[in-house]
Amino acid sequence: MIRIKDFCYWYPGQDQPALDGIDLEIPEGQFCGVVGPNGAGKSTLCYALSGFAPHFFHGTWEGELQVGKRDVPRSTLGELAGEIGLVFQNSFNQISGARFTVREEIAFGLENLGLKRKEIERRVEETLALIDLEALAERSPFALSGGQQQRVAIASILAMQPKLLVLDEPTSQLDPRGTQEVFKILDKLAGRGGTTVVLVEHKLEWLAAFADRVITFSQGRIVLDGSAKKILADEKLLKLGVGQTQFTQAAAAVQKKKFIPRSRPLPVTLKQAQKFFE
Amino acid sequence: MHGTLFVSGNSGLHRLHPLTKLALTFLFLVFAATLPNLLWLLAAFVILLVPMSAWGGLLRPFLRSCLVVITPFVISLSIIQGFFTPGETPLFHLAGFVLTGEGLLAGLTVASRILMALGGALLLMLSTRPDMLMLALTRSGLPGSLAYVVLTSIQIFPRFQERAQVILEAQQARGLEIKVNIFKRLRLLVPLMGPLVLSSIVDVEERAMALEARAFSRPGRKTSLLALADSPGQHLARWGLLLLMLALIGWSIWRAISS
Amino acid sequence: MNGFRKEFSTFSIALMAVAIAINIGAGQIPRAVGLPLYLDSIGTVLVGVLVGPWAGALTGFLANVVWTFTGLFPQAIAWAGVAAIIGALAGVFAQSGWLKEWWRAALAGLITGVVAAILSAPIAAYVFGGVTGNAGTDAIVAAWRAAGFDALFSNVAQGTMSDPLDKIVTYLIVWAVLLALPQRLKARFGNQSGQAAKTRARKRR
Repeated sequence: MIRIKDFCYWYPGQDQPALDGIDLEIPEGQFCGVVGPNGAGKSTLCYALSGFAPHFFHGTWEGELQVGKRDVPRSTLGELAGEIGLVFQNSFNQISGARFTVREEIAFGLENLGLKRKEIERRVEETLALIDLEALAERSPFALSGGQQQRVAIASILAMQPKLLVLDEPTSQLDPRGTQEVFKILDKLAGRGGTTVVLVEHKLEWLAAFADRVITFSQGRIVLDGSAKKILADEKLLKLGVGQTQFTQAAAAVQKKKFIPRSRPLPVTLKQAQKFFE
Repeated sequence: MHGTLFVSGNSGLHRLHPLTKLALTFLFLVFAATLPNLLWLLAAFVILLVPMSAWGGLLRPFLRSCLVVITPFVISLSIIQGFFTPGETPLFHLAGFVLTGEGLLAGLTVASRILMALGGALLLMLSTRPDMLMLALTRSGLPGSLAYVVLTSIQIFPRFQERAQVILEAQQARGLEIKVNIFKRLRLLVPLMGPLVLSSIVDVEERAMALEARAFSRPGRKTSLLALADSPGQHLARWGLLLLMLALIGWSIWRAISS
Repeated sequence: MNGFRKEFSTFSIALMAVAIAINIGAGQIPRAVGLPLYLDSIGTVLVGVLVGPWAGALTGFLANVVWTFTGLFPQAIAWAGVAAIIGALAGVFAQSGWLKEWWRAALAGLITGVVAAILSAPIAAYVFGGVTGNAGTDAIVAAWRAAGFDALFSNVAQGTMSDPLDKIVTYLIVWAVLLALPQRLKARFGNQSGQAAKTRARKRR
């Protein structure tokens, strides 16, 4: 699905590359988490995958970046919209504002794609049901909570039926309830198959529970890559400034005091933690 | 609806094609400019606008909006035209100035012209969803990006008012003294307005990206979920209204030349 | 027409919508501080300065259309042309490098204020019978009329009493915002002279 070979990207006027020799392959339908300290290149990866780097931010690039059959840096944003979806932090900024109800807001992207009304209606209804927004369909998107707005933002992108969904910290301005709403949707999408999900996320407990794979970024490079459970239990995350899940921290503290043998692997999810402490 | 005058409803007025209502608004504007005197203007308002608003089930909000808009004009015009237009019929003396009957009539005539013109616009806004009006205009050739600018700013300005309120309260909590001399108050504006404007500009980048992600800049034809109901009768009526406007303007020019 | 097209990227379109929201949304601040200013063209001037004269003009025009839409000040549409000229002027001032020092920005505000006063007055005088429907400004017009001046002169006089100060403060706020705006964002608009983005040799880590 995603094939990146030795990809580098420089923002305009910058000497240091924001992405520095990225090699990455992500198969179709995988739910891939991305972690790393601030300025490590996580957001830039999102922008590169969705074509905003270089098409929106300009700057220079080299290497290969393909999503499906699409050569992303050599396509236009108009071609990429609908194939690759991007969702980011601030839910208010993602509401176009040009439409007055949730239903019409979700239709906005489809209208821009020039789809027939019948097809727009069909896709909007389908998406409303999938994201569980039917009860809010006639409300103004500006009269919703942050979590609900973020769900509208995700729905608006999903209605365009992208093969790849890229999310840059979509839950960082949300409360626990909003976070849960977003993760439930992503789980549904990845579980249903077909949609590949790349998610930048600070909330490691959630990644541990839902992601198939975790990639760790530092200084524009991929430094760790593997299954979510393996990477999130890795001690190197602490040195990188990513932190650890609360379960891992608690378990490590107990293990240090030698109550529990060193041979037992550190947990990253609630289930693993329960087993660990038994 | 957030930030607009629109009152939802399902009346005949609501269901008219937005361009038909826009044509009526322009007709009322032409009436405002061409009808000869106060009597004609008030008659047109009572015979045309008031029943139309009642047809739309909007009589109360319409009259209330008209009152809010026209009252300051009536006061200002009665005073300024009333006292400073020369005339033969003194009505009232104040500090050496005379309120004349002719002046008051002239002032009220201008106010009734304003009432006619703005009343037409208010009726359009009260009975038409802004997005429907913009959709109709886009179908007639208005660039979609302009429709976006109008609709989005209508919907997001209340959020900016909230933000301004938050900044004001935060600064007041930090001991910002409002009761100081005018130069100090001027200097206060930068810490108050600066953060509001700056944060909004920084937001623009994300807003633009969100638009691109929704295929906003994709070339080619765009479609719409919303349907606009039109009819051959309304189409004809719009041409009729246009001809009527031209006739009224012609009549008014002819009157001006012949007098 | 290349410059014209460049002024209407998705980025500047998004900026225009936000700018109009600033025009309308920020109006309560001067009132809360107790200053007799409108400050209802900060967004318009900002678009003119950041993007260019065409975009500035369009923003000014549409801002007054939106004022009418909201019902807050429906007569605004009559002054849409003046608002467009304010936006266009801002673009030209920025292109001439007038937004670099605060005092030149203030001077640009002064000139804009005088131009706005002169252009607005005939609209008030001939369309609205010598008033604007705003109690404060109409009281000043009444004072001039009482002193024996005609409608047009009184409206020009009222305008020149309030508009220049209003636009000077507007320009100073815009100048301060430009100072604080990240260089990266400013380079994205690039209407200001002498701020060409530097492209340096790239190297790999």
